Amino acid sequence: MKGPLSANATARDLHRLTVDDSPVDETPVVGSRHGRVDALDLLTGVGKYADDLVLPRMLHCKILRSPHAHARIVNIDTSAAEAMPGVHAVITGADLPMRYGVIPWTQDEYPLALDKVRYVGDAVAAVAASSEDVAKAALARIAVEYKVLPAITDPREALTRSDVKIHEENKHGNISKQVTLAFGDVDTALTQSELVIEGDYQFHGSTHAAIEPHCAVGHVDGRGLLTVWSATQVPHYLHRELGRVLQRPSHAIRVIQPPVGGAFGGKSEPFDLEFCVAKLAELTGRPVKCLYTREEVFLAHRGRHPFQMHYKTGFDRDGHILAVDGKSLLDGGAYSSFGLVTTYYSGQLLGSPYTFPAYRFDSTRVYTNKPCCGPKRGHGSVQPRFAIEVQLDKAAVALGIDPIELRRRNFIGENTQTIGEFHIGSSGFLQCLDQVEHASGWRHKRGQLPKGRGLGVAGSTYISGTNYCIYPTELPQSAVQICLDRSGRVRVFVGTSEIGQGSNTVVATLAADELGVELEDVRVLAADSDLTPVDLGAYSSRGTLMAGNACLAATRELATKLREIVSEIWNCPAGDVGLAHRKAFRLSDATVWMPIQEAFILAESKLGTLGAVGSYKTPTQNVHGDYRGGTIGASPAYSFTAHVAEVEVDEETGDVTVLSIWCAHDCGRALSPTLVEGQIEGSTYMGAAEALMEHHRVLPSGLRTDGQKRDTGPGVEGLLAASSLLDYRMPTSMDVPELCALIVERPDPRGPRGAKEAGEGPLHSSIPAIANAVFDAVGVRIDDLPITPEKVLAALKRKASQTAEVR
Amino acid sequence: MTAAEHPGAARAVHPRDHQLLHFQLNGEAVAVAAPPHWTLLEVLRYQLNLTGTKQGCDKGDCGACTVRLDGAPVLACMTLAALVQGRSVETVEGLGVGGEPHPLQRAFAELGAAQCGFCTPGMLMSAAAYLDDLATRDAPAVDAAEISAVLGGNLCRCTGYTKIVQAVAQAAGEVIERTQLLAEMSNDDGGMP
Amino acid sequence: MLRLPPLDVVVAGSLTDALQQLTTQPAARPLLGGTDLVANLKTGQTKAKTLVALGHLADLQGVDASGEVVRIGAAVQLAELARDPDIQALFPALAYAVGRIASPQIRNAGTLGGNLCLDTRCRFINQSDLWREALGGCLKSHGKECHVIPGGGGCVAALSADSVPILMVLGAEAEIARLQDGALVTRRTPLAELYDSDGRRHVRIADGELLVAVHVPKLPAGARAVYRKWAVRQSIDFPLVSVAVRVDLDGAGKLRQGKVAVGVLGPRPRLLTLERWAGRAIDEVLAKQVAQQVFDRSHPLPNVLYDHEYRRERLRVEVLRALRTWIAPAESER
Repeated sequence: MKGPLSANATARDLHRLTVDDSPVDETPVVGSRHGRVDALDLLTGVGKYADDLVLPRMLHCKILRSPHAHARIVNIDTSAAEAMPGVHAVITGADLPMRYGVIPWTQDEYPLALDKVRYVGDAVAAVAASSEDVAKAALARIAVEYKVLPAITDPREALTRSDVKIHEENKHGNISKQVTLAFGDVDTALTQSELVIEGDYQFHGSTHAAIEPHCAVGHVDGRGLLTVWSATQVPHYLHRELGRVLQRPSHAIRVIQPPVGGAFGGKSEPFDLEFCVAKLAELTGRPVKCLYTREEVFLAHRGRHPFQMHYKTGFDRDGHILAVDGKSLLDGGAYSSFGLVTTYYSGQLLGSPYTFPAYRFDSTRVYTNKPCCGPKRGHGSVQPRFAIEVQLDKAAVALGIDPIELRRRNFIGENTQTIGEFHIGSSGFLQCLDQVEHASGWRHKRGQLPKGRGLGVAGSTYISGTNYCIYPTELPQSAVQICLDRSGRVRVFVGTSEIGQGSNTVVATLAADELGVELEDVRVLAADSDLTPVDLGAYSSRGTLMAGNACLAATRELATKLREIVSEIWNCPAGDVGLAHRKAFRLSDATVWMPIQEAFILAESKLGTLGAVGSYKTPTQNVHGDYRGGTIGASPAYSFTAHVAEVEVDEETGDVTVLSIWCAHDCGRALSPTLVEGQIEGSTYMGAAEALMEHHRVLPSGLRTDGQKRDTGPGVEGLLAASSLLDYRMPTSMDVPELCALIVERPDPRGPRGAKEAGEGPLHSSIPAIANAVFDAVGVRIDDLPITPEKVLAALKRKASQTAEVR
Repeated sequence: MTAAEHPGAARAVHPRDHQLLHFQLNGEAVAVAAPPHWTLLEVLRYQLNLTGTKQGCDKGDCGACTVRLDGAPVLACMTLAALVQGRSVETVEGLGVGGEPHPLQRAFAELGAAQCGFCTPGMLMSAAAYLDDLATRDAPAVDAAEISAVLGGNLCRCTGYTKIVQAVAQAAGEVIERTQLLAEMSNDDGGMP
Repeated sequence: MLRLPPLDVVVAGSLTDALQQLTTQPAARPLLGGTDLVANLKTGQTKAKTLVALGHLADLQGVDASGEVVRIGAAVQLAELARDPDIQALFPALAYAVGRIASPQIRNAGTLGGNLCLDTRCRFINQSDLWREALGGCLKSHGKECHVIPGGGGCVAALSADSVPILMVLGAEAEIARLQDGALVTRRTPLAELYDSDGRRHVRIADGELLVAVHVPKLPAGARAVYRKWAVRQSIDFPLVSVAVRVDLDGAGKLRQGKVAVGVLGPRPRLLTLERWAGRAIDEVLAKQVAQQVFDRSHPLPNVLYDHEYRRERLRVEVLRALRTWIAPAESER
């Protein structure tokens, strides 16, 4: 039969999707150029973010925060606030006396402080009032009596001081987590090394600074269902914690994640405002909204941990790594957050892309009286990656080996294991190095650039999701439900959190190809706990691999049904039916085709309503080590990255300008190349900003351990140096280098259509590539981030005086 | 405008009283009552339900709330609503004509210039003013450095700005083409007897 | 989000009306573009009950370059001023300086008058209520001690207006209006005398007075000025180092006179003259001597959010680079 199938009776009255008569187009949607499927919603101002939601009779919540870095709460008197007209409810820690925390083993936070405050900004009480103005005025009428305690702001002090304990119930002083893991005989290998590079590296704190401030709305409806809309990237974990803290069964809670205006890890655990709006909605029977001020976003933080690192790396004369010995002190801030994972990641994620014949890491995370650190894009591994990549650069210089070549020599390979027994599948790391070498003109430029200009390289790797859920479970990590119907549309219900990274587009792309529709025919409904199956959330770069595989499982089941039904009509084997671009067609003769809508109608009339579910669980055999901690940081598949940065250093001022930065990233398969480029560019920019400008800095304590007064004087301890988007200087459009994104595709059998992550990996090596380029330009090392003009200038002066002495 | 003509010059209202504001919003006359301490951002978002204009930093540091006031991009969070009396305000909801997206919106969607989309409405309003300005120039040309400067007050945390600048450049190219076409047509007309 | 505290907005009908409103309304403050005032009211560091809007008043408008002295109305928007053809031709460094203020959106609302009266800035005052409460306040807020200079008796918050140093070296004067027996009178004050060393009230404009315009004399032949700003970012930021240099050359190309004005020190800019180098040609040696003198006499404080010792070093380089534009005139003024 040639041409479109004549309309059958059941379909005659229905609206038809336009299908042209042109030949079947078999070009896959995967890999084609397209933007976000939901972009126009946001671009026209139609999409409703959390603060765009307004419910009838909605109240506004404001949270009272501690002005002390460390204090015991002696008394709270809310009566004056409660008496104010327009105030509907005031709650304190006693109203929500349940600990929470994203990691079940380290829950150490209360929605509102119960007996102690542990940083300036810790939540103490919350008000629901008729307007934000009234709520704010009511906060001023809450009288809190504090007994101020000595505070710790220096992580080294946290290790040594026994008189101050930030969490009384903690067994090990102020140590939040300590991990030591050793593989092979590190000490012997170091003694036998031709060259040992040893150095201290300081990685400063930085924060996510998504443009959308955190916001949540809570509402209990007439049926007793609590609904919380929140700008979160982990609606499922929020759902669990709301249940625990509010003592409410899961089925009586609905969490909806509206479009989120950026997150980067900063919205990946529950926050005080979500519990407060839920509790206040329960108490008042009215919807309650809480929108953070920008300062509150800085206080909520959960940003990159400051690391003090000491690294020793041994090499043979050819530049092969023989041993790595790393010691890190992590400044965790007031609470645990993801800190247990961060501490493991600080060592476990360093095991590739280079072979470490012997490896030891010793990482300690401490509590301090500062905003809590947590996961920021490239969680836990950006800091040690900086150290090791600078170590490699120093070795290359010492041994006279080209730094790219040195990295090639140490490449771990594919289908292999790291020393920590993580299984590495596909790896396009060598291709990444080739690409940045070529694109940057490395070979003809290196060493030939004018004075003050330099090139630097670095490499890295990252996970495509972690092998295990944050809580112990045998349940799937991601799932989808898919429905097809007579309209020719595909509906995908998926739990993933779209936060701008394009997760809705990823599933749409995969579904479009499998089911033979166009991208615009796929409706993705995401992250609504009443309507979508569970996905663990947008963290650890898990979305593409996990939701993608779940989506493929469901769509493939449906596609099989469609093929069978169509093959019966055409009297051909089901394997001869292809589905693409709104057509079902014979693979052996593409002139035989029918509109895909006809195929859906045929299938629906024969089989009833068309639906399928798919879910994904990570493989557990031979992917990680059996030792304690051997599972943390293991992933089904790893991405690989290389950066080359070209910088210009002004030797009079110390200014460092990144002129261009090339990033090649192996994402396995680029399902949506435009979006992958966006992730590469965004990650690279964020890394460059951390390298040169951004600093989430907390002012130090007024007193030193020896009782001597510090320069900063009393009063400032625990305060943020920069808590606005004016003072926290993140780059404007006029401050960014030329960003060149290069996609490398080394498909991984574990990824959907071969795809791996792209959202976090491309941040890592951006920072050491810049640091290494600064050395190439002017011969000074800044191992203490960020690389600011005053540090460069001071280093140049030191170098000049040393040179003078030698003469 | 002289003082006498100024439509807001009438009389003061008492604090906390609502004042009645009349202004043009996306080409239509609106009247809205708002307390005098409200900013234009609050009036747009919470009074008129035009939530396309976003709030990011509270106080003029990020550009997410950029709207056009008498054509010029300004920060709605820093503009007292009282000062828009009698003036013309354009927001992202007013971009595009007859349900068709503005060339900027199309370019942003196609080139992946909006990731989380939160800075985007403000970005679009800054870019739209630039495009209008470009259309009035004698010899308009697309210049990436100029685009970066135009967007210098709009922070984006997702993209690294590369795709945003590309999208604005693409839309600017379309504007230039259209302007030149119009110019040629009017030249042709001029040549007619 | 941060909101403005409840307050009233009065739209002045005339300059006279504005001056009356400012004295009769409770806790009244003049409002032009509001880009500084609104932020400071939101964070609670500035208090007001009434804002008197002046931006539309005819007396505060326009750039008039018809005479020997150019009059710029206080309400002229920064963006307008930066692209004004007369200003670009006569005072390109002024056009550049105001074109580097904050961001495009702020330049579209902010005015020259507003920038001249920009409140002083300090890392201990430009903070939220919570932050200042935790600190225990400072001299400029509700506290009793200065955290920049512990034990210091005066507020040393920094003058951070980009337009001030350049207007100072250009010899600008402020036109200030007040009511005297119901009649409008004005006075002129050289910008060099407009600023005081008290960071709580650093502009010498009395209650009941209003800045209405700035008058800038046209430059004689052989005179030119350069403004240099350093900030971490190319946009949005206030200056961390701010310096204007003016050089008047004689017919032989030798220095006749010169001035340097430095901002972002304390509340008042520092003005230095180059008279001891009069008669000399501008070369690298002279430039370095001038830069050294500016360095010696300028002491950036830890008041704004950047290492003050570096800011001092940076100031030296910025002066040097400004002077180098006379050595190699082809180089841009930036």
